[in-house]
Amino acid sequence: MPTFRRLLGFLRPHRRLLWGSMVFAWMAMGMTVLIPWLVGQAVNAVQDSDQTQLFWMVGAILVAAVLRLVLTVIRRIVAGRVSLAVEFDLRQEVYAHLMSLELGFFDRNQTGQLMSRATVDLQSIRFFLGYGLIFFSQSILTVLLAGVVMFVINPWLALIALAPAPLIVITALRYTRQSRPAMQEVAQRVAELTAQAEESVAGIRVVKAFAREDHQFERFQGAVDRLFDQSIRSTRIQAFFTPLIGALPQIGTALVLLVGGHEVLNGSLDLGQFTAFYTYMLMLAGPLRTVGMALGMGQRAIAAGNRLFEVLDREPRLTSRPDAIPLPEGGGAVSFDSVSLRYGPEAPEALLDIDLDVPAGSRLALVGPSGSGKTSLAALIARLYDPTEGEVSIDGTDLRDLEIPSLRHGIAYVSDDSFLFSDTIANNISYARADATPGEIERAARLAQASEFIEALPDGYETVVGERGLTLSGGQRQRVAIARALLANPRILILDDATSSLDATTEQQIRAGLAEAMAGRTTFVIGHRLSTISLADECVLMDEGRIIDRGTIAELTDRSSLFRELTGGSGDEPLFVPEDEEVLA
Amino acid sequence: MSAERREPTASGSGKATEPREANGHREIVAGRGRKIRWTLGLLRPYRTRIFFMVLAVLVSTGAALAPPYLAGRAIDAGIQTGDISALNLSIALFVIAVIVNAVTSWLQTWLVGWVGIRVLQDLREQVFKHIQRMSIGFFNRNRPGALISRMTNDIEALNQLISDGIVTLFANLLTLFGVVAIMLLLDWRLALVTFAVLPLLLVTSLVFRKYSAGAFRETRERIALITAHLQETLSGVRVVRSFGQEDRHIDHMTELNEANRQANMATVYLNASYFPATELLTAVGTSAILLFGGWQAIEGNIMIGVVVSFVGYLQLFFDPIQQLSQLYATYQQGMAALDKIFTLLDTEAEIVDGPEAIDPPRLEGRITFDDLSFTYEDPEVEAESGEPVRPAPAEPRWAVRDIDFEIAPGETVALVGSTGAGKSTLAKLITRFHDPQEGRIMIDGRPLPDYRQRPLRSQMGIVPQEGFLFSGSIAENIAFGRPDASLEEIAAAADAVGASPFIERLSDGLETEVGERGVQLSSGQRQLVAFARVILAEPRILILDEATSAVDTRTEKVIERALDEVLKGRTAVVIAHRLSTIRRADRIIVLERGHIAETGSHDELIESGGLYAGLYSSWTDSSAG
Ligand SMILES: Nc1ncnc2c1ncn2[C@@H]1O[C@H](COP(=O)(O)OP(=O)(O)O)[C@@H](O)[C@H]1O
Ligand SMILES: Nc1ncnc2c1ncn2[C@@H]1O[C@H](COP(=O)(O)OP(=O)(O)O)[C@@H](O)[C@H]1O
Ligand SMILES: [Mg+2]
Ligand SMILES: [Mg+2]
Repeated sequence: MPTFRRLLGFLRPHRRLLWGSMVFAWMAMGMTVLIPWLVGQAVNAVQDSDQTQLFWMVGAILVAAVLRLVLTVIRRIVAGRVSLAVEFDLRQEVYAHLMSLELGFFDRNQTGQLMSRATVDLQSIRFFLGYGLIFFSQSILTVLLAGVVMFVINPWLALIALAPAPLIVITALRYTRQSRPAMQEVAQRVAELTAQAEESVAGIRVVKAFAREDHQFERFQGAVDRLFDQSIRSTRIQAFFTPLIGALPQIGTALVLLVGGHEVLNGSLDLGQFTAFYTYMLMLAGPLRTVGMALGMGQRAIAAGNRLFEVLDREPRLTSRPDAIPLPEGGGAVSFDSVSLRYGPEAPEALLDIDLDVPAGSRLALVGPSGSGKTSLAALIARLYDPTEGEVSIDGTDLRDLEIPSLRHGIAYVSDDSFLFSDTIANNISYARADATPGEIERAARLAQASEFIEALPDGYETVVGERGLTLSGGQRQRVAIARALLANPRILILDDATSSLDATTEQQIRAGLAEAMAGRTTFVIGHRLSTISLADECVLMDEGRIIDRGTIAELTDRSSLFRELTGGSGDEPLFVPEDEEVLA
Repeated sequence: MSAERREPTASGSGKATEPREANGHREIVAGRGRKIRWTLGLLRPYRTRIFFMVLAVLVSTGAALAPPYLAGRAIDAGIQTGDISALNLSIALFVIAVIVNAVTSWLQTWLVGWVGIRVLQDLREQVFKHIQRMSIGFFNRNRPGALISRMTNDIEALNQLISDGIVTLFANLLTLFGVVAIMLLLDWRLALVTFAVLPLLLVTSLVFRKYSAGAFRETRERIALITAHLQETLSGVRVVRSFGQEDRHIDHMTELNEANRQANMATVYLNASYFPATELLTAVGTSAILLFGGWQAIEGNIMIGVVVSFVGYLQLFFDPIQQLSQLYATYQQGMAALDKIFTLLDTEAEIVDGPEAIDPPRLEGRITFDDLSFTYEDPEVEAESGEPVRPAPAEPRWAVRDIDFEIAPGETVALVGSTGAGKSTLAKLITRFHDPQEGRIMIDGRPLPDYRQRPLRSQMGIVPQEGFLFSGSIAENIAFGRPDASLEEIAAAADAVGASPFIERLSDGLETEVGERGVQLSSGQRQLVAFARVILAEPRILILDEATSAVDTRTEKVIERALDEVLKGRTAVVIAHRLSTIRRADRIIVLERGHIAETGSHDELIESGGLYAGLYSSWTDSSAG
């Protein structure tokens, strides 16, 4: 059971505490055994009318009880601490691992599925490692001790009492074998349900707009029903095996009564011995039930562990080499050398044979129809994906030879969905540089033409924006995203359709700020409007994943009908040649 | 089994009648009776099963008590007296009791499991339904992860209570009653002395409850925060990666994780003291009996034998009490989760259909804005936590103010204005995502609240500015508003918005999976799919909120041509920044800081030389570069 062993591995850092809690548990158990004995002594004292002895014994009972209290409290606190520590460690590990996985992983895995692993699944592991294991050890210890005593009293009866033991072991093994996959499937369906819930909540605006609440509810209900069916399947297994595991030892008891009873009657066994033996047998019932319960908990934990390790064992596919270097000094020259990109083995090529040299400090616009690969090309620069073929390099170094954090800190990427975190505007802007001063934040906001609206908000920069920034208007969100990128003070700036929700006037205003921010940086601008594109010195025209032309706006307008169509340059909108060089200066 | 399922409604239990208290604790106490009623409501559909479940629990508990007794009989009546037939009889009965117990336990585990799981799933569905009923404002205030936590973590937390709780409760109460009866019969004075620990136990439990309620609630909140953080990081993973801020997120998670650990540690302390404390009380009780009984026996007031057997029963008396106190701790923990769920279920939707509301007939499409003003800062609205969002400002920041105009049936109106002017807000008001504080919107001459929301919205089509695709195929997404659409219709809709060329290039065409939120498509492609989705729904009123902002001009031309066809006979409100789109509108409404600055056709507005003319000149400048 490698999963089980790995789960135990998470206890290793806490093994001292764990042993401590076990020792305390055993000592408390000792008290629990001691107290009935003391009670017996007290009863004897009553029978002997020995008042002092009675007082002594009652005093001893109280002392033992207080000791047990102390021991148990400590034991529980220590066990609780260990189990919470394991939960903490596991969650940290899963989360950190998720943070190390490449973007492609998240393109294919649902948020809710991953969330479920770091919440619900962890609970069952915590319960087992924290409590189940202690119960288990306590019970097994009791069973062993009682077993040894029974052998000492009467080996022959002990053998009879143990007759059902192999059956119990076989049943228990069966139980675990059947229930683990069932429980794993339960966990899987909980995750599916979580994903379903997540999507319904995140997409609520569309659901409402189309009045499709019933449809979403039915889908959720489907997930609930699948979970229900599987839980029932798992319950059925449990309902069959747990009573069986509880009943089998009773067969041993019956046999002992039968054989032992007849022997006592024959006179081959002493009654006192038999009674003592029987008392110890009675002690077994409780612990054996606990073992059955702990087995169930263990199976659940292993099922959850399997799912957790599934994620933890998924190697990050986008890593830097061990000898990777930080981003070397340079002006931010970017070059693509026969780069092709596919998002999956079956997917068509998103980029094909891209050869592109972008000198340091230059401004390049990427123009092309939707889906032509502009975003994909930009994503390669930040090494969000690795090219399937060819290589991308910055200032002469292949990206794969660079330390990833250092590379990404050198790049600021304004993505086309301008995602904001539900945090204050100030924190969103300073996202890339937590140490930014309020002055710097304001300056970035000013460059992005965002300061005016931010200052008009009731809490200004401290206003908390809702989920994904949805409490801002689209254009406001985009400007905060731009400010965030500008504050990062990157070597390479990528503006991926970053002004699509801005009206013409605001866009005009933002151009000056952008031009200022772009000075001295290599900039990639993706956009559909001439106004956006004209921020660049040069354009690259893309179609179906290829670069099909490159030149200034004027040149491309001249020679490419596609370019004219894409930019509206041939249509009803008046067109002039760029003359705002002074803005860009 | 589906015939047996009926869904109980939370509203049926009179949720509006109970006034909400600011003080959370008092509210919980006040609501307890209601909660029990409501829980019974959840159980009602399954009463047949519950009847058999209780029966199974009773029989199996009884059958579990028999074997020790029979074994005692075997020893006392059989072995000690040398009566072989009595011995054999007892053993035979013993075996029968064991078998009966096993069979009834099997039934009991299954039935308890069934009812428990079913009720939890019903609860889950109820929470989901309730969340869906909430208005959009609610979703602006509550993070999705926190809501998801209600449907996952909190329900799971109830799991333990339900699956172990019922059996523990029945079995132990039963044993307890039996033992109490025996003890009273044996010697009522000694029995009363024993029962004297019960008030102590009660006090301990009350103290435990007092301190634990807050602690358990805290754990629910902490795990919700973790869930919310996970949800957000995972959905913003592209931003995290592109800025290389993984460490920062890990740090934040460490904080949340640590806080979660602390919160749970508090409950560990409480649990760790409560249960052993009850254990101590049992020892105190035993000592009291020994002292009192011993003294009485030595005085000769009581037979020694009585004291001895009484002491024997003490363990039988205290055992179930300890089990029950353990259950009480689990119960408190479950209640904290249930309280959270209740708070959610108690949050009422801001916008509900009135009893008079009607299903709209086929809409003409006349939209009238009647002196409408709206602000997002509604002071009356409370966040889920129950705290007011902020004190009411003297003069709210109106998102739109004094809007007064009418859109004729079949007319296409363009909303123009700088970002933040209130265009999207107007669009959201038409679909009744929010209700205005002043004035009203009428459709076909009737105010919006006269219509039931969903039938009304199903005649409207909106492409929101923040497009959202569901994981699934492109075809499923396009058919979202009309799931019965044929594949041809879906393809036609895709064709109309110029999405066909890209769809054909994809490996599986219309059946290509788009990934969560459509991540496997480019942003322009996502918009096209969202556009096709609304076209297929054939709405009477079409609202396009920057529906093509990420689409290239060539494709947009295709869309514009298609729109001429689509818009025929339909009312349309179009928000766009591209001149060519705006120009096609019958009328242009220019918004400025929430006010209507001017209205008119393109030519009229250019003529008048106002704001639009200014916008137009910056356009022509900018589109020139
Ligand atoms: N994460 C992804 N997974 C799979 N396919 C993708 C992904 N992102 C983009 N694609 C596909 O790659 C192609 C290029 O997309 P993209 O680079 O976003 O285009 P655009 O030029 O519009 O920015 C599209 O056909 C799109 O479907
Ligand atoms: N959900 C919201 N909560 C609070 N304020 C909002 C919300 N949505 C928009 N606003 C504010 O209302 C104003 C109008 O926004 P909106 O209608 O989205 O503008 P636009 O004209 O760009 O579409 C903006 O100042 C914006 O910040
Ligand atoms: Mg793109
Ligand atoms: Mg808007």
